[in-house]
Amino acid sequence: MNRWQKIRPWVLWLLVLVLVTLYLVRSKNDIQQVHAALIYLLVVLGGSIAGGRALGLSIAFAAFVLLDFYFQPPYDEFTIGKNIDVLALVSFLATAVAATQLLARAQSEAEEARRRAQEVATLARIGSESLSAGRAEDALVAIAGVIQHTLRVAQCQIYQTEEDGSLSIAAGSSAGNLPRDFPDDRILINRVASEGQGYAVGADGAVMPVKVAAGGSLEAAHLSNARVILIPLQVHTRLVGVLRVADPEHIAVGEPERRFLEALAYYAALGVERVRLVAEAERAEALRESNRLKDMVLASVSHDLRTPLTAIKALAQDLGTAGHDSARAIEEQADRLSRMVGNLLDLSRIKADALPVELEENTAEDLVGAAATQLEALLDGRELKVDIDLTRPALVGKFDFVQSLRILSNLLENALRYAPPGPPIELSVRREDAFLLFRVADRGPGVPAAERERIFEPFYRPAGSQPDAGRAGLGLSIARRLAEMQGGFLRYEERKGGGSVFVAGLVAVEEARTQD
Amino acid sequence: MPTTPTTRILVIDDDPQICLAVRHAVAELAEEVDTAGTAEEGLALAAAGQPALVVLDLGLPDRPGIEVCHEIRRRSKAPIVVLSARHSESEKVALLDAGADDYLTKPFSTKELLARVRAHLRRSASSESEAPQVIRTRGLSLDFTQRRVSRDGVDVHLTPIEWEILRSLVSQSGRTLTHRQIFDLVWGQRSGNPQQYLRVHVTNLRRKVERDPARPELIVTEPGVGYRAEVASDS
Repeated sequence: MNRWQKIRPWVLWLLVLVLVTLYLVRSKNDIQQVHAALIYLLVVLGGSIAGGRALGLSIAFAAFVLLDFYFQPPYDEFTIGKNIDVLALVSFLATAVAATQLLARAQSEAEEARRRAQEVATLARIGSESLSAGRAEDALVAIAGVIQHTLRVAQCQIYQTEEDGSLSIAAGSSAGNLPRDFPDDRILINRVASEGQGYAVGADGAVMPVKVAAGGSLEAAHLSNARVILIPLQVHTRLVGVLRVADPEHIAVGEPERRFLEALAYYAALGVERVRLVAEAERAEALRESNRLKDMVLASVSHDLRTPLTAIKALAQDLGTAGHDSARAIEEQADRLSRMVGNLLDLSRIKADALPVELEENTAEDLVGAAATQLEALLDGRELKVDIDLTRPALVGKFDFVQSLRILSNLLENALRYAPPGPPIELSVRREDAFLLFRVADRGPGVPAAERERIFEPFYRPAGSQPDAGRAGLGLSIARRLAEMQGGFLRYEERKGGGSVFVAGLVAVEEARTQD
Repeated sequence: MPTTPTTRILVIDDDPQICLAVRHAVAELAEEVDTAGTAEEGLALAAAGQPALVVLDLGLPDRPGIEVCHEIRRRSKAPIVVLSARHSESEKVALLDAGADDYLTKPFSTKELLARVRAHLRRSASSESEAPQVIRTRGLSLDFTQRRVSRDGVDVHLTPIEWEILRSLVSQSGRTLTHRQIFDLVWGQRSGNPQQYLRVHVTNLRRKVERDPARPELIVTEPGVGYRAEVASDS
C-alpha cells in the first residue's frame, strides 16, 4: 500500500466533513440539532469504513466539536448551556465511537477470514500438487521446496524413519549452504524421531522444546527467532520421520507461518508414508515374483526327478508280475528314493517359503483316517492302534489337511522305522485347551534326554545308527516346521514303560454345529 | 468283470517307458491299448479310436494338461485318469473340475492304477446301462429307490444331508469328487455357506456307515481335494 492510498480516505472524508458542515451551517435555521447529529454520524460511519478506526474516531471527535460550536446554543462558541445538551453531545460521541469500534472489528474479522481462506486455498493447492506428483519421492521433494520457499529459509529436509529406527533423508530443498560454525543438530534430529517432540535451536544455540499437540498443532512459544526447527512427522500416532528447516539468520515464524508449518508437516508425513507404502508394494511384488520362480523351479525339478522314478517303479512292478525275484527290491528302493526326493523338495519349499498353507476347518478323525489309510501299505504285518473317542462329537481344528497329513505320516513312518516290530504303534487324538493333540506312541528305544531337541534338526540321525541314504533325518524337522507354520507345535515326550511319544498340536476350533 | 471286445484304452505320456509300463499294467482290462507321446497325437487318437478310458500324463511337452483334459472331455465321456508328478492340490482340484475323473501322483503303483482303471471302466459301463437300484458293499446295503441304508440287516439312520453325500459319492464310485463338486451336488442352490461343514458331515456319516470310522474304506479322503467312494462287491 503506498502513501497516497493511505492518505486518500482521510482527505476524502475530511472534505466530506467540511462540505457537510458548510451545508448544515447554511441551513442552520431550518434544521434541529438532532438532524445535524444524525448526518454527522453517517459521515463518521463512512469514514470508518473507508479509513478504518483512526479516521472514524478522528471524524467523531471533529463532529463532536463542530456540533458543539455551530448547533449547540449558545451558538458559535465552545460552551454548553444546559445539562440536557451535555447529555446529547456525549451520547453522540459515545454512539460514534462505539459504531466506529464495531465497524473496525467487523472489518478486521472479515480481513482475517479472507486471509485464512487464502491460506487454505494455498495449502489445498500445494497439497494436491505435491501428493499427485507422479512418483512418491517427487511429491516429497515438492513439499520440501514449498516449505523452503514459503518460510524463506536456507534449507528444508525431510527425514524418514527406516524399519530399524534409523533416519535417512527422503527429500531436501536448499537455497544455500549453512555457515561452517552452524550448530550440528544431528543428535537432536534423532531425539525428535524417538521422542515425538519438536525442538527449536535459538540464535544463541539454546535448545528449546516445541510441543506437538495431538492434532499436530505446534506450540508457538519457542518457534519464532529460531535458527533450526525440527518437527516430528506423524501419521495418526505413528512417527514416520522428521522435518528440519534451518537458516543462518533467524527464521520468522508468525501465526500464519506456524499454521502453514503444521499443515505442511502433515503433508510431509503423508508423503513419507506414501514413499514407504510404495516401496513396500514394490517389495511385495518382487517377493511374489521370486516365489513364483522358486515354485516353478521346484515344480520342474520335482517333475524331472519323479518321471524316471515312475518308470523304474512301474517297470519293476511289471517285472514282478512276470516272476522276477529282484523286482520287489527295485520297487522298494524306488519308493525310498521317491520319499527322499519328496522330503528334500519339501525342505527346500519350506526354506524358500514356497510351501502353501491353507488353513481350513477339518475334523481330526478325517485326518487320522487318512493317515491310517496311507500307512496301511507300509505296515507289513505290523499293527497300528488308533484311539478316537467316537462317543463324543467330532473334534474340529483349523489346519491344512495336506500338510498335517504329512506331519502324521512322517511321525508314523518314523515310529515304524525305529520301534521293534512286536508292540503296536499307537495313534490317538484328543483336545486339550486350544489344541488338538495328535499322539504317535511307540515302544522303541526312546530318545536320550540330551538329544530330544536335536532330533528335530534336519539330517539328524540317532547316535550309533547306520548311515543309510534312505533315512536321511528330514522327517521330524519337516514335520515340526509344518506344524509351526500352522500355528501348532511338535514335541517329544518320554513314554512310560519305555518308548517315544511325539505330540503334534494343531489349532482346535469349537465343535461345528451341523444343521440339516 | 468281462470286458467287451471293443474296449480300447488310450495312454498319453511323453515318456515311452511309462507308456510301456502302463500298457502292460492295464492290458488285462482292454482289447487294445493305444499310446501317444504328445497331446496332438493323443487328441487325434482320442477322436479316432473312441477309447473307453484315457490315462493322461500332465507333463506333456506340447500343451498344458488341463487343456488336453478339457479337449478330450468336450468330445468324449470316457473316464480320464490323470498322472501327475506335481503335488499341488489346487492343481488337482482344477483338473477334476475340468472333467478328469481321477488322478495318481507319480511315482504310482501299477496295482493302484489297475484298480482305479477297473473301477472307472465298470462305472462308465454301468452308467450306460441302468444304474443299480441297490448297492451292496462291505456288509452295507444302499437302496436308492427307497433311500434306505442298512448294515447287516439293521437299518442305519442318516440325516438328509448325510444321505445326499453318500448317494453322490456312491453313485459315482471310484471317482474323486472335489469338495466343491460334492457341495454343489448336495446343497445345490441352497443359500448360506455350509461348505465348511461338509467335512464334519462326512465324519458323522463315516461313524454310521464305516466298519471302523478311523480307517474308512467306503468313503476315502483325497487329501486337500475331496472324497471318493470305493465300492467293493460283496459277491
